[in-house]
Amino acid sequence: MSFMKHPFSLILLAASLAQGVAQSVPAKIEFNRDVRPILSDNCYHCHGNDPSHRKAKLRLDVREAALEQEAFVPGKPEQSQLIERILTDDADELMPPPDSHKRLSAPQKEILKRWIAEGAEYQPHWAFVAPKPVGLPAALKSHPIDHFIQITLQNNGLTASPAAEPATLIRRVSLDLTGLPPSPAEVDAFVQASTADAESAYRAVVDRLLGSPHYGERWGRWWLDQARYADSNGYSIDAPRQIWKYRDWVIEAFNADLPFDQFTIEQLAGDLLPEATVDQKVATGFHRNTQINEEGGIDKEQFRIDSVFDRVATTGTVWLGLTIGCAQCHDHKFDPIAQQEYYRLFAFFNNQDEPELRVMDPVVDAGALTAELEDLEGRIKKYLEARADELSKWEAGLTPAAIKSLPPQVRKILAEPAEKRSLAQRRTLGAAAEGGAGRFEEMNGRYQEIDAQLNKSTTTLVMQERPQPRRTTVLIKGDFTRPAEEVTPGTPAVLHPIAKTTNPPNRLDLARWIMRPDNPLTARVMVNRVWQQYFGRGLVVTENDFGLTSTPPSHPELLDWLATTLVDRKWSLKEMHRVIVTSHTYRQSSSDRPELREKDPDNFLLARQQRLRLDAEIVRDVALTASGLLSRKLGGPPVYPPIPDGVLNQGQSKRTWKESQGEDKFRRGLYTFVYRASPPPSLSVFDAPEGFTTCTRRIRSNTPLQALTLMNDDGFFEFATALEKIIQKDGLETAFRRCTTRAPKPDELAVLEKLDTLNAARALLNLDETVTRE
Amino acid sequence: MNPMNPDNVLRDLTRRHFFSRCSMGVGSLALASLMAGRGLGAAPAPQFGNPLQPKPTHFPAKAKNVIFLFMAGGPSQLDMFEHKPLLTQLNGKPIPESYTAGKRFAFMDSSHRSDLLGSRRSFQQYGQSGKWVSDLLPYTAGMVDDITLVTTCKTDLFNHAPAKLFMNAGSGVFGRPSMGAWVTYGLGSECDDLPGFVVLQSGPRGPRGGAVLWGSGILPTTYQGVPLRNQGDPIVNLSTPKSISQGQQRQLVDAVRDLNMKRLVETGDDEIHTRINAYEMAYRMQTSAPELMDIKEESQATLDLYGIKDPKETSFARNCLLARRLVERGVRFVQLYDTNWDHHGGPAENLEKHLPEKCRDIDQPCAALVRDLASRGLLKDTIVIWGGEFGRTPMGEVRESTGRNHHIDAFTMWFAGGGFKPGLTYGTTDEFGFGAVENPAHVHDIHATLLHQLGLDHKQLFVRSQGLDFRLTGVEEARVIRELLV
Repeated sequence: MSFMKHPFSLILLAASLAQGVAQSVPAKIEFNRDVRPILSDNCYHCHGNDPSHRKAKLRLDVREAALEQEAFVPGKPEQSQLIERILTDDADELMPPPDSHKRLSAPQKEILKRWIAEGAEYQPHWAFVAPKPVGLPAALKSHPIDHFIQITLQNNGLTASPAAEPATLIRRVSLDLTGLPPSPAEVDAFVQASTADAESAYRAVVDRLLGSPHYGERWGRWWLDQARYADSNGYSIDAPRQIWKYRDWVIEAFNADLPFDQFTIEQLAGDLLPEATVDQKVATGFHRNTQINEEGGIDKEQFRIDSVFDRVATTGTVWLGLTIGCAQCHDHKFDPIAQQEYYRLFAFFNNQDEPELRVMDPVVDAGALTAELEDLEGRIKKYLEARADELSKWEAGLTPAAIKSLPPQVRKILAEPAEKRSLAQRRTLGAAAEGGAGRFEEMNGRYQEIDAQLNKSTTTLVMQERPQPRRTTVLIKGDFTRPAEEVTPGTPAVLHPIAKTTNPPNRLDLARWIMRPDNPLTARVMVNRVWQQYFGRGLVVTENDFGLTSTPPSHPELLDWLATTLVDRKWSLKEMHRVIVTSHTYRQSSSDRPELREKDPDNFLLARQQRLRLDAEIVRDVALTASGLLSRKLGGPPVYPPIPDGVLNQGQSKRTWKESQGEDKFRRGLYTFVYRASPPPSLSVFDAPEGFTTCTRRIRSNTPLQALTLMNDDGFFEFATALEKIIQKDGLETAFRRCTTRAPKPDELAVLEKLDTLNAARALLNLDETVTRE
Repeated sequence: MNPMNPDNVLRDLTRRHFFSRCSMGVGSLALASLMAGRGLGAAPAPQFGNPLQPKPTHFPAKAKNVIFLFMAGGPSQLDMFEHKPLLTQLNGKPIPESYTAGKRFAFMDSSHRSDLLGSRRSFQQYGQSGKWVSDLLPYTAGMVDDITLVTTCKTDLFNHAPAKLFMNAGSGVFGRPSMGAWVTYGLGSECDDLPGFVVLQSGPRGPRGGAVLWGSGILPTTYQGVPLRNQGDPIVNLSTPKSISQGQQRQLVDAVRDLNMKRLVETGDDEIHTRINAYEMAYRMQTSAPELMDIKEESQATLDLYGIKDPKETSFARNCLLARRLVERGVRFVQLYDTNWDHHGGPAENLEKHLPEKCRDIDQPCAALVRDLASRGLLKDTIVIWGGEFGRTPMGEVRESTGRNHHIDAFTMWFAGGGFKPGLTYGTTDEFGFGAVENPAHVHDIHATLLHQLGLDHKQLFVRSQGLDFRLTGVEEARVIRELLV
């Protein structure tokens, strides 16, 4: 491990830092904090939940079982085998065995010894126990978040940073809530208002941003990462698909602040709700964002099963923060999830057909149009029947020359025997006979118009329950050709019980089970993931794993306070955003300080904010806004902004990319069409996920290809050209402010003034500060 | 690279000079004093500035670089390397059921057949090792004593895209890091003006699966493969916009650096330091990548060795030469994809006409690459791998003409250089070439062996995601095949 920075030692360090303890052995051993991480990292792989990997019949994750095998004698470390085996010099006896490449440190050994000496007590895993309301001091004047952060800062002899400059703050909160920077006028107004009353000025800005339709775009994209949304089928053929109605549903749901419990239920089981609306069906597109393999020679069932695997794993990761997918092939090695329980969850997702749903434009009254169409059809039929004789006379009287002058499709119909002609063909013929005028033409014209309107509708992928459920079995090693015992739908025993409305329970019961108030996980998992957006890291660093191998929360009380607050506020995410962004912890400066660099270089304790490179789409959005080109149009089909030559031919199929014209060329990044196998480079170089599996945290890389993109990409160059015009018209200082929100310092201006205006514009769009939220 | 070669010494010196002047800190002294002035201590440690800086190995390495020649589609080992007289003798007879019971194949419900198909190629033994090679590969036949042939390679998946992923990333699941990403993650790169992991393509279309085959998955995109393209910009967005001169571009990079430095001092954020270095490297790449692609300076003898007729035209041969040039410049992992090796027997994919054409495209360049690397002293540090995502069945497939189906139980790959035993043939297959009778070599074992040669323990090279330690070699036990190694 010498060359790799093991993320976990760092995280454990952070956890102990957060609790105000040094890395050494704590005064009083606490199982969850001190012992479990050691056991689960080093022992559970062979002495844990999975019986197939269990060695010497010993399990250490359950106290009774460990005692039965005489692993230790509570109170007597010197008589405990466990201690003997971790301390021995005999390589054959040593635990963990040398070939596992795991080794216990001296303090870890000491912790285990002391734990046994103190009675070897276990505690249930914190994340499996529902959060309890956290008491706040009665006289608390500060924001609750600041209160919790302050305690650990104090324990470590640190203080929070001062508030960020108003210009920095308004840029930060605008980018965080809407993904767009503020306009210079908004900045001026805020700076002005702050001098009078900083608090109410800030709260007004937060209100405005939460009410902006761009809030739904920003946080909708956050959810689309988790939903593994993209616009193509994936695998090797990777044909385009239509599912953007689901994307728009997400954006609208965020803007309407649809409570998270309802938001969840509609996506997992909207089709099963009583009298489900079209919107609720569209919402089930969440689990249709799986890939579809269209390669020749495949076994379709294999890939259907693969998509069900993905649905189970995604549901577990997104809502429960559990690595349920690990139990696909065997019992979970660390968490109490049996393979059979995995397949009981699988059973919920094994009973669907996967159709396309036609969605009408909301202004089209499909019911009325369909009725009118049926009426017209009847009238047309009658009319044609009444005039049958005249029509056959007309047909018989046609000379070869007259036939030649008719349109090709009419000639084709004439070639067919009269009794074989369809109604549509008879309509066409009738219209031709009448010479394209009169009452018939009127009826026929209207008919065609309605028909076109009804067929123009968009489709989207949805879930639909099968009337006859499929049989679900355990699959040995996750192999679909090796079915074992049959299972019924059900949820893991370690979690709260499920209430059924049907027998066996269905997806709707599952969705409601997830949102039950006694679920210990979902609220914590969600607030943690929201927190991560604001500080770059969750209070639980392993944001997709709250199981036994997760990292302990750096601020457990804060996590539980946030989780219970989310439930108290009726699952309103907008309220959670308001709570977090109004704290001082959020509003403080992100600049580093000497004492922090020494004591908490990775900023686990949050004595400062964190500079964060913008998400891929927002890198584009900021450049578009700065250069004045941004189209603020919401929703609709994906768009095709310019893309470098050749990138669409990387996979098997050559794809077309008909470049969007007009304002669609300058839409926000989240509307760009994404082929999973050939994603747009300007997004993927900045770590936009490609929608293969759920993404609960984006990586933030920092690479030369990003530099090439910002410097040379045709799109960014076009933005620079527009920004140059602004420099020519309003000066460098304005352009600087449009990119960074703040005014340039004289020495900064001096650097830019040495460049020609186009290069100055390019430089501004390339600044680290421009692509970073400070 | 021969360290005593004066060109190389000069090159190293220049590079080091460039490095100290540009990447490590653009005035690293000035920066240090500025930072110190703000009480932020010395300039950040170099690892913050360059995520690709070379890292120590787990144990001493036998090789430094990899060139993977990937025949996308699944080359027919039975018509190239596996001489099976009984198969020819029993041509047209059904394969004994004992071979196929319980097995699944691609196209099971349509064109799959169970009748044996003998090879129509003529086979001969070559070299001191006496390896059998068919008439399709005269040049490869000439170097059999320099390569290690493994005839019992085995994979898990039989459809193209998942199997390609499996060969590249050790899993058929999309979103896992590819081998090249793992290697650059584990070792860093010794090249400061080109990416650490480079992909080159030839053939009528891209490989199935596309960019995920060289993706970095759960690793940072720093480690993903960068396709070097033969047309247009070698790297996406490499060239300066047309209306901008080279001088202006340099001014841009300098101005961005100066402004970023000021912000670094202001905020103390080490990420800015990384970005400054990224811009310097991007700028260097703008010169070094086109230079790399321009093979004018290569001698006619070299072009002839590879069989390059038109130095400008995209071909597997040209890509092989580029691979040598990349390794020469310290690029860690080079992968060549050549597509259309899927010879099922369709009108454009049969064994009679199209397989020989594909073999003609690759045979001479493969042998030339091994020879060229050897003569320049690069072969000992470089592992060359040849193979596809799977092989093809001993049973014939009848579509418009003759072909073979996808086969995963035994197929052939070869290795050269990097401490692999020259002249060795590893593994024995049954009389039809259906499965291994002795010494199977699973893809995970092959991966473990490659990493081992690069000084990396496959068990220790992992990242944790979603509660699991992800490795190139997966969760089951994988074995370093020591028998392959010197």
